[in-house]
Amino acid sequence: MAPTPFTGVGLGLRRPHMEAVAREGAQGVPFWETCPENLIGEGGRHARWCGSILDRDPVLTHGLAGSVGGFDPWDEAYLGELGAFLTRTGTPWHSEHLCFTSVDGACLHDLLPLPFTREAARHTAARARDLQARLPVPLILENITYYAPLGRPELTEGQFITEVLEGADVGWLLDLNNVYVNALNFGFDPRAWLAAMPLHRVVQMHIAGHKRCGDLVIDTHGAPVIQPVLKLMQWTLQRLGRRVPVLLERDSHIPDLAELLAERETLQGAYDAAFLPAAAHA
Amino acid sequence: MPEPTTLGLQRSLASLVLEAEPPRLELLDGCREGLLAYRELVRDGLADPLETVFPVTVALLEAEDAWAGCLDTFLAARCVTSRHYRDIAPTFLGWLVDTAWGRDRWPWLLELVHFELLETLVYRAEDAPAPPGLAPDPAPGARVVLDPAAQVVAYTHAVHRATEERPRPEAGATHLLAYRDGEGLFQLLELTPATAALLVDPRPLGEVLAALGEPDPARAFSLLASLRKAGAIAGFRANLS
Repeated sequence: MAPTPFTGVGLGLRRPHMEAVAREGAQGVPFWETCPENLIGEGGRHARWCGSILDRDPVLTHGLAGSVGGFDPWDEAYLGELGAFLTRTGTPWHSEHLCFTSVDGACLHDLLPLPFTREAARHTAARARDLQARLPVPLILENITYYAPLGRPELTEGQFITEVLEGADVGWLLDLNNVYVNALNFGFDPRAWLAAMPLHRVVQMHIAGHKRCGDLVIDTHGAPVIQPVLKLMQWTLQRLGRRVPVLLERDSHIPDLAELLAERETLQGAYDAAFLPAAAHA
Repeated sequence: MPEPTTLGLQRSLASLVLEAEPPRLELLDGCREGLLAYRELVRDGLADPLETVFPVTVALLEAEDAWAGCLDTFLAARCVTSRHYRDIAPTFLGWLVDTAWGRDRWPWLLELVHFELLETLVYRAEDAPAPPGLAPDPAPGARVVLDPAAQVVAYTHAVHRATEERPRPEAGATHLLAYRDGEGLFQLLELTPATAALLVDPRPLGEVLAALGEPDPARAFSLLASLRKAGAIAGFRANLS
């Protein structure tokens, strides 16, 4: 069986780097992740550069505004375009967030939390199954950061995520930075939290930086990954025992490509080290 | 059928983040700081593309202590419905058209906002194949076919000369050609009214030139040929009628 390119540490494909990546090649990056909402319907030279990368390199796709936990009807025309885009990229799966992004037709362009209730879990699982039926590749769902519970919780966050993943029977995009940020904001041990989760459903992981704003830690994707999150990545990889792809996200204060590539190299080293025989007992 | 509790909570959070005067926080049974963080994050996320695409407009309205109120009213209108982040700026223009917000005070506001959006619209316009059957050179019996990304615009004010330091445009008929060059870069050309007419008038070029009182087409054809080479014009279609 041919080795999959979707292993190791990949990078989010962002506009400031598009030309350099198109012209200079993958530069050691095993795969890229791209957001279809930012590309579908877009023309001009950035779109051409992106298209050449999609046709050349392994790419995963990551939706931003699917509103899986929302109530607005699906945009069937967009889903048709999305399906064609996913097929073109050859992505083995498509990820969306476990959140809502629109209400009564208004798109809020942010990842807003769902109530940790059985009603919301049932609704979101049903919507995920419904969305899965309209996509040409498997759907996986990502845990988000949240800064306040929405309504009175009946479940813990972990129970809620588990009920949705199991109810929809979909894979998990485990965002480790989001787990870490939630652990800081709500005072729990991220390793204990992860140990209680259905890790067998993890298909991909995200890793990123964050920022403290007053008493809250915000998931900004605007800073380098800190050591505790890197260690959490290694711990999780060892626990999984599988070389699942990890994606380094950077969406604000985006540095030069060289700097981002250097950070990716560091993370790749940590990723590889997690699978060394001695690491399993560290 | 009763509204699901989940939907009710989502509507409450949307009101919290979008209304100029948010509802009472107790409605959401959540921690105050976290909920206010959502209000700030969502509002900043929706304002950011406006402040990026419309720097002169924002400078004008800030200088006149009106930007915050404009943004409040725009967000409360909940008219951002597209999942594409790039559509927020065009939605703002559409909202100004629909509501006439600020038109009494700044009659040229729509023109300024439209001009500031022009670069984004042209630079990112979806690629379209060149129409078939076009000739490369102009002729008296042909008419101009613009590149699909190009736009000819007319304003009553010189909005293209407004700056963040001097955001009030001077009155004066203004004709502009916005297009992508061979590298895909945005280009802007100020036109005379006659050249603008040549580009948009649906009649054959010979008739347009005659109507403009231009008996010698050579100079005009030379300009049109150079605009085709630059990427603004797709070609010239022989008039079949």
